[in-house]
Amino acid sequence: MRRRGYRLLPHTADIRLEVCGGDLSELFAESVSALFSLLADRRRVRAAESRTLRISGETPEDQLFLLLREALLLFTADRFLVRSARGRMNESGGTVEVSGEPFDLSRHSVLREIKAVTAHGLVVERVPEGHVARFILDV
Amino acid sequence: MQYRDVSLTKLSDTMWEIPRTGGMLVPGLIFASEAMMPDILRDEAVRQVMNVAYLPGILKYSIGMPDIHWGYGFPIGGVAAMDVDEGVISPGGVGYDINCGVRLLRSDLTAEWLRPRLPELVAALHHEVPSGVGSTGFVRLSGPDEEKVLGEGSRWAASAGFGTDEDVAHTESAGKFPGADPDAVSMVAKKRGREQLGTLGSGNHFLEVDEVPEIFDEEAASAYGLFRGQAVVLIHSGSRGLGYQVCDDYLLTMAEYMRKNRIELPDRQLACAHIRSPEGERYLSALAAAANFAFTNRQLLAHQARETFLRVFKMGPNDLGMRLVYDVGHNNAKFEEYEIDGRRKKVLVHRKGATRAFPPGHPEIPEPYRRAGQPVFIPGEMGNASYVLAGVPGAMRLSFGSTCHGAGRRMSRTQAKASVRGKSITQEMERRGVLVACASQKTLAEEIPEAYKDVSAVVDVVHAAGIAKKVARLKPIAVVKG
Repeated sequence: MRRRGYRLLPHTADIRLEVCGGDLSELFAESVSALFSLLADRRRVRAAESRTLRISGETPEDQLFLLLREALLLFTADRFLVRSARGRMNESGGTVEVSGEPFDLSRHSVLREIKAVTAHGLVVERVPEGHVARFILDV
Repeated sequence: MQYRDVSLTKLSDTMWEIPRTGGMLVPGLIFASEAMMPDILRDEAVRQVMNVAYLPGILKYSIGMPDIHWGYGFPIGGVAAMDVDEGVISPGGVGYDINCGVRLLRSDLTAEWLRPRLPELVAALHHEVPSGVGSTGFVRLSGPDEEKVLGEGSRWAASAGFGTDEDVAHTESAGKFPGADPDAVSMVAKKRGREQLGTLGSGNHFLEVDEVPEIFDEEAASAYGLFRGQAVVLIHSGSRGLGYQVCDDYLLTMAEYMRKNRIELPDRQLACAHIRSPEGERYLSALAAAANFAFTNRQLLAHQARETFLRVFKMGPNDLGMRLVYDVGHNNAKFEEYEIDGRRKKVLVHRKGATRAFPPGHPEIPEPYRRAGQPVFIPGEMGNASYVLAGVPGAMRLSFGSTCHGAGRRMSRTQAKASVRGKSITQEMERRGVLVACASQKTLAEEIPEAYKDVSAVVDVVHAAGIAKKVARLKPIAVVKG
């Protein structure tokens, strides 16, 4: 297993992915990056502004689900695209700091419409290399 | 037929029962032919039919249609009717794209007349009908107008000049779900919706020009205004970001409700609340508002299509004869009445990837179709076939007035893309007689005909099972996709 990054898993109708990270903060940041990699060509997104996503929820599964939900809203509600993400955990939960810029139809290519992050089959597991998460995006 | 450790019982050539096991409150029922079963048993769809049977208040069966495939919580192609007093409403049983559906416009044109003029028409339709991710609609909605869209549905579109009274009358529920409350829709959902009214979207949504090469039921076809060789327009779209956000918002509300009320279910995505609870009622009000948004969206798309035809062919509306046959959703939850154990009962029917199919004589069907039965439209694989069906009495007995909704995916998007690597889908489709205009080549690759089950096999099953009857086959000649 890779230490960080994501790969697609088979799914008939939607997109199922597996994300790896050394610790939870890296896993969460990698998951946000993966979401935006599937949404748009991240190489064309400039790191012009930063935004902060708060991590809340009791279990790692809840935390990841709520975080990804907020991350998707960056694009769907605020038309903001993410180039990179960095996570930081603390006692009250933590944050994921994202860098990116507002969506510009003339410069950015959006790859697909992601309707939502689903809770169906969402798991976060500890593995010898760190942490791994699997979740499904409704497209 | 075996599914993991469960033996399915064959009830007929088109019906399979999943016996009650574990916490299932009712058995499962799948409509499919024997040949389809290996595909259906391959992923999690059957498990999901079984999980739905755990929902409090479910009546008779948890049902799977022949186009069933793996969803989240509910399978796509699932139907579940709930007792109104004891039962629950589940946003996952409706889906993210609330009231996604299909509408068919007929015309007085023949496909033969249209064919040489298709390139110009398709280019114009692609230009005038907004599609693809990030596209915005041609209507700038003000806040108060959006409230009216949510409250009044298609009626708002007609009063704003985007449709006729006949369009409204020929839409399921006259284009307006009762009980809609715009205040039950979050600000974020409204924001997502405002710019997207009158947009097709992406993925499997489309606007298609079809030929009618085959008619199976002359009487019903004639009632619907269809004839052999005719050119018609089929539109598939939904409630766009507004609907997705309503579903997403209420899944959280329902998860909290379940925690408070200690309801335990095998899948988090089945989150639900009792129909009679404040949470359940509020979701139903938001669902109705989102459904009205979807009706209005398809009305605006149809208006754009009609206007484009008039402009390209320099015709008057009477020469074109482009009238709405019907508009019907396939992601809904509705209060309806059925006979259960000899008694008439009001129930809430969840249809997620399933189409309402009411039989002749049903009071909900527009008067001109009362004898023929409710029109049902089943979009198929791009470039192959789509179908017009009619509701029949069997659906009231067997499937809570429901039938299938499409072909159903067979291949994952990654597999589909891998299988076309290096080939031009546009050229391949042209070779098959279909002109394609698409905002994204990637989407197009994911939507190749081979990625879907054979829609003809799907409609043959619902026809043979007696939960709809075949009226006409449509053959796409041009497709506009997001």
